[in-house]
Amino acid sequence: MAEISIMKNIPEKVIIPLKQHNGTVCEPLVSKGDIVKVGQKIGECTSDICAAVHSSICGEVISIEDFPTPSGTKVMSVILKPTEVAECVDFTPRDATKEEELISIIKDAGIVENYGTPTHLVLRPGDGFNIDIVLINATASEWIWGDYKSPRDYALQILESLKLLMKASNASNGAIVLRNDNSEFISAFDGLVFDGKRLNVAPLVGKRRASYYFKDQQSDIVILSQDRIYGQNILNLFTYNVTGRHVPFNCNPASVGVAICSVQSAKAFYDVVHNGKPYIETVVSVSGKVNNPQKILVKIGTPFKDVIEACGGYKGEPGKLIANGAITGVAQYVDEVPVTKTTFSITVQDKSEVLRDEPLPCVHCARCVDVCPVNLIPARLATLADQGRFDECNQMYVNNCIECGRCAASCPSKIPILQLIRYAKVAIKKAYEDVPPKESSNLKLGCSCGSV
Amino acid sequence: MTFTISAPPHRKQDITLRKIIFAKILALVPVCIVAVYFFGLYALALIIVSMVAAVVTEAIIQKVFDKPLEINNGHAALIGLMIALVVPPEVPIWIPMIGSIFGVAIAKHAFGGLGSSVFNPVLAAWVFLSLAWGPLMQPVSFPMIGAISDLVLETGAGHLIGVSPLALIGGVYLIYRRYIEWRIPVFYFLTTIVFALIIGDSLSYVLTGAFIFGVLFLATDTPSSPVTKNGRIIYGILCGVLTVIYGHFDNYIYATFYGLFLANCVASFIDNNTLPGSYAEESFFQRKYNQIMDKIPFEKLGVYLDE
Repeated sequence: MAEISIMKNIPEKVIIPLKQHNGTVCEPLVSKGDIVKVGQKIGECTSDICAAVHSSICGEVISIEDFPTPSGTKVMSVILKPTEVAECVDFTPRDATKEEELISIIKDAGIVENYGTPTHLVLRPGDGFNIDIVLINATASEWIWGDYKSPRDYALQILESLKLLMKASNASNGAIVLRNDNSEFISAFDGLVFDGKRLNVAPLVGKRRASYYFKDQQSDIVILSQDRIYGQNILNLFTYNVTGRHVPFNCNPASVGVAICSVQSAKAFYDVVHNGKPYIETVVSVSGKVNNPQKILVKIGTPFKDVIEACGGYKGEPGKLIANGAITGVAQYVDEVPVTKTTFSITVQDKSEVLRDEPLPCVHCARCVDVCPVNLIPARLATLADQGRFDECNQMYVNNCIECGRCAASCPSKIPILQLIRYAKVAIKKAYEDVPPKESSNLKLGCSCGSV
Repeated sequence: MTFTISAPPHRKQDITLRKIIFAKILALVPVCIVAVYFFGLYALALIIVSMVAAVVTEAIIQKVFDKPLEINNGHAALIGLMIALVVPPEVPIWIPMIGSIFGVAIAKHAFGGLGSSVFNPVLAAWVFLSLAWGPLMQPVSFPMIGAISDLVLETGAGHLIGVSPLALIGGVYLIYRRYIEWRIPVFYFLTTIVFALIIGDSLSYVLTGAFIFGVLFLATDTPSSPVTKNGRIIYGILCGVLTVIYGHFDNYIYATFYGLFLANCVASFIDNNTLPGSYAEESFFQRKYNQIMDKIPFEKLGVYLDE
C-alpha cells in the first residue's frame, strides 16, 4: 500500500490563488496586514460558477497581488506569512440531512474537481439537467485517504462519500470506477458488505456497462473496473465507456445525466461533512528527479519549491518542472508556483531528459492512428490544423480528442501533434462562440439538454 | 533556477525516423550477404554503386534547391539498397545507378520529398528500368521453391533479392518491434496464399524471395500506403488480389512489383473512403449485428443485457 507522508514544515510563504477552478475569480475578504486562521474563508464567490477559497495556514496577509499558478497564468492571490502560533477556526461537523444544504456546504467548502469544475456545478448543473448517475473516477487517482486502519475502512469511507454525493445531486445510482491493474483497490472493494449488500468488483466488458450491473447486482451502488484512462479531456469518453451514453457535440456529461467526481473531491466532501474542515489540503505525488519521490499531503498554497524540499530536494540540476503528469501536464516557469486544488502531481526532469526535437515531415507511418484511443487520424488532423482547415478538422471529429498525447509521444518524426490539435479545437470553439445560436441556420449548436 | 518550457507531452517514446530506416537497412543486410556469396563481388559493386548514386542524387537536389541536407536519415541509402536488390545480377553497372537517380530524383523529390511520394520510389525505378531496358532487366531464370533448402539458398534466383527468402526474416522482427505495422503484411500474405490456392497456382512459385521482400518491405512503404486501420486491411487484400491475378498469367516476381505499383495508385483513394467515425458510432457491421441481436428475446431467456 502506498504510504502517504504528511508535510510537517510550514513554508516561509504561502500563496493562495483566488481562482483555483474554471470560472470567475473570488473576491478577497481580507486585506493587507490582517491575521487569518486555519480554515478561515478568505475568498468569497462572486457568481455561481465559483468556489470559495480558504486559508490553509495561520498567518499574516503580506500582500494581495497577481502571482503565477501551475496552469501557466497569473491570478490574483493572497500571500500569507505564517505566524508562530497556529490558530484554527473551530471545525464543526455539518448536518447532512437535506440535499439543498449539502450543495451549499460543497460550495462553501470550495470543493473543486481535479479537472477544474466546481463540484456543486457538477452535481447540480442547472435547470434542464437531471443527474441520475454519480461516478467516482478512481482510475487515475491514487490511494489518498488519510486516516484509515485497513483498506476495508478506506473503501467504506469512499462508499460513504459516494452516498453523500448521490444525495447532494439527487441521483438514484452511483458507481466507483477502478483501474483493472490496481489490485490493491480491487481487493479492498471486492466482497465488501455495504448497506446490507455484498458488492463485487465488476469489469466493464463489451456491452456490459454500468446499467447492466445495476440490474444484475440489484443495487444502487456498484464498483466497476476498466483500463487506465488519462488525458486532459476524458470526461466524454469516460461517460461513454462506463454508461454507454453518447455525449453530444460541445456538451459535457451533465447533458446525459452523469456527474463525474474525483477521489480528491469525494474525500474533501467527506471531510467537510464529518469534520467541518474545508478543502485546504490535498495529496500530491512527487516523482522524477527528486531524492525521495513519494506521495505527500500538503496544504493548498504551498509553493512547489517547499514540496520538493520536503521530498529531499532536487537530484542533480533540474531541467523541467511539470505539474499534473509528465505526458499531459504543464511545464512551469518558476518553482514558486503554489499547489492548488487542481494539482495532483509534480514531476521533475533533469537536463538530460528535456526533449529537444526538430520536427520532420510526416511519413504516414500510422503509429499515431494505432495508439489513438478515440479512433482519430491524428497525423491528418495535425496537417489540416497546420494549414488552418478547421472545418475539415471538425468533420473528422477533432473534438473527440481526449488530449492524452499518445500520438505525439509515439511520433517518429517528432511532430507536435497534440499542440496542433489543441490549436484546431480552440479555433473551432471560438468560431462557434461568434455565431449567435438562434440566427445560424446551417450550424447545429448547443446541447440537446437532457435527451440523448 | 531556470526551467525549460514546452508543450506536452514531456516524455516521448525513444523512436526516430532515422532509427526506423536504419533498422530496415540492417534487416536487409543478411540477404545482401547471401547475394554476394552467391553472385560474387559484382553483386556487392551493384549495391554500393546504387546506394552511392542515391545518396549523391539526394545531396545534389537538396543543395540545388536550398533545402536542409537530409542524407543523414538514411532514406536515400535505403532506396538505393532496395533498387540494387530488385535488379538481375548480370546487368551493366549503370543500370542500378540510373534506377537510383530516377527513384530519388523523380519518384521521391519531384513528388515532394520525404513522406510525400505517391509511388514507392523503388517500384517506380524498377518499372522505369523494366520498360526502358527490357532485355537487360530480363532475369536469367525465375526461381521455384522445390525443397526446404531453397528457402535458405535459392539456386535459381534471377534477382539479388531472390537468393534467400529466409534471410528476410529480419522484417518479421521489425513488425514485432512495431517499426513496421502489421496489418498490410499479414493481409497481403494471407490473401495471396489463399487466392493462389483457390485458382490452383503452386505455392512453390509464390513463396519467392521477391514476394517476401514485397510483403515485408515494399508494401509497408509508409507514404504510399493508407493510414486508416480498415484502409490498411483493404490495401493488403487488394495487393494480394492484384499479385495473384498478374502472377497467374505471368510470374509471381513481376506480379509482386506490378501489383504493388498498381495498388499504390489507389492507396490515398482507400484512405479517403475509410476515414473512421466517431468513437461511439456504430460501424456498418455492428449495426447489422445489433439488429439481429435485438430480435433475440434475451429477457425471456433470463439473460440481462445493457438497457
